[in-house]
Amino acid sequence: MHMKTFKNFGKRKATFAIASFFAVLLFWTPGSAQETASETAIAIVVHKDTQVENLSLEELRSIFLANQQFWPDRTRIILLVRAPQSDERTFVLNSIYQMDEAQFRQYWIAKMFRAEVPRGPKIVFSTDMTLELVLAIPGSISFMRANEVTDQVRVVRVDGKLPSEAGYPLK
Amino acid sequence: MRKFARAGKVFSCLFCALALQPALAQHSMDPAGTDLSQPEFHVMGFGDISYISREGSDTDGFAIGQAVAHLSASLGHSFGVFGEFSMTARDTEYSAEVERLIVKYEFSDLLKLSAGRYHTPIGYWNNAFHHGAWLQTTTSRPEMVKFGSQIVPIHFVGGLVEGNIPVTDLGLTYMAGFGNGRHENIARAGDAGDINGENAWMFQLNTSPSKYYGFKAGVGYYQDVVSPAAEPEVDEQTFSAYVAWAKEAPEIIVEFIHSTHELASDSSVSGDVDGWYAQFAWRLEAKKRQWKPYARYERNRIDDSDPLLGDLGLDYDGGILGLRWDFNPYAALKAEYRNEEFDSNGRENNFRLQVSFVLAKL
Repeated sequence: MHMKTFKNFGKRKATFAIASFFAVLLFWTPGSAQETASETAIAIVVHKDTQVENLSLEELRSIFLANQQFWPDRTRIILLVRAPQSDERTFVLNSIYQMDEAQFRQYWIAKMFRAEVPRGPKIVFSTDMTLELVLAIPGSISFMRANEVTDQVRVVRVDGKLPSEAGYPLK
Repeated sequence: MRKFARAGKVFSCLFCALALQPALAQHSMDPAGTDLSQPEFHVMGFGDISYISREGSDTDGFAIGQAVAHLSASLGHSFGVFGEFSMTARDTEYSAEVERLIVKYEFSDLLKLSAGRYHTPIGYWNNAFHHGAWLQTTTSRPEMVKFGSQIVPIHFVGGLVEGNIPVTDLGLTYMAGFGNGRHENIARAGDAGDINGENAWMFQLNTSPSKYYGFKAGVGYYQDVVSPAAEPEVDEQTFSAYVAWAKEAPEIIVEFIHSTHELASDSSVSGDVDGWYAQFAWRLEAKKRQWKPYARYERNRIDDSDPLLGDLGLDYDGGILGLRWDFNPYAALKAEYRNEEFDSNGRENNFRLQVSFVLAKL
């Protein structure tokens, strides 16, 4: 009886200690620096042979979420995404994915784990690398600052607008 | 002991593969990754360790959850292989299991064909989180879809057709499956073939409208003839429905299943099963984003007259309150208070603390 009382007391103490630990952590979190947003428009670029001129923002989101994985001609869509810390990636995560880094990571891990996609997005580390791979991979799609686009790739209209036009949604 | 040694070898190989993943990725004739006809492999691992305290129990303590390895291989543009392998701690040994093994050919977004061992497409949870404790907000699955559940056939072996239905903006997708029904141990799939020649089949329709980004809902139907060990055959039909708001603030999942079991030889002997749960979570804002409080209420009711499940004491009524702390991008700590009642045997207060993690390169 005495042992049981002691055990229950110990359990309560342990539960209280753990609850206190979480409560303290909940109200103490170190600050983090605000990330800067891109100041120029972000262009959506595809491989030259991809037969697409315009995508609605919903269609673009569906492609970036890998809910649509094929172009209309049945070419597989290959998504190229900039590595973390780039302004372009931050902008796309905010505007298209509406996710933060942690949610984005969890989304793709879950997507692969559910066997819905055979691979995650290919990671690119610079605008030059983006251009090089979009040029080389049929079906690829990516994004970059509009003022860095070259004629090696095709720029897709979003909601009927080019990055230079008023009302372009990815500004 | 021999079984343990064999399972250990399997998992040693899988986790060696995980450790060697960067080396495997680099060993390619196409270092830039531009030639997609070349095979591409990805390995992930999931695991969890819990401290469980149950009211009135003398066995409080730590428990190793499932160690899970997931492999996916893209073998060209349209052909892929997926595998999920687990190792689960039992009282005296570890058991190894092929949880999922799927070969898939994708013709287009409209038509994808696959065959293998799946998590049965019933409801939401069974196909959303699989064996990844880190992926789910809570420490455990709802009781009706827990691993080893007899209420819902968690696994099935067969073929699946799936794809998008692009007729509206509703984001409709379908899944239709055909395969082996339950084993004579009704908690298991018919891995070695259908035991009574009456295949199971299922259909699920899902919607995730682009206008309501984050929203997902679906309905499904599953049918089988079950032959439990030393018991007469039972016709089984299950209807399922779910609604999920998958954004983190809030996260809402509500799922419902209704099953009817009827003795094949006498339709007057029958019974119903109703199971549902509602889960609510909220990822905090800004600097508190690592924190996610959550709650869930669930309830399973089985008619005593049910010829398949009526005698198994599976009634359940439970509520949980918890807090998830994502202290690392690949790991989370969850603390959970549970108030549960199993088979109308009185309520009990339980507590779980769990650390779960994913080993992934993204």
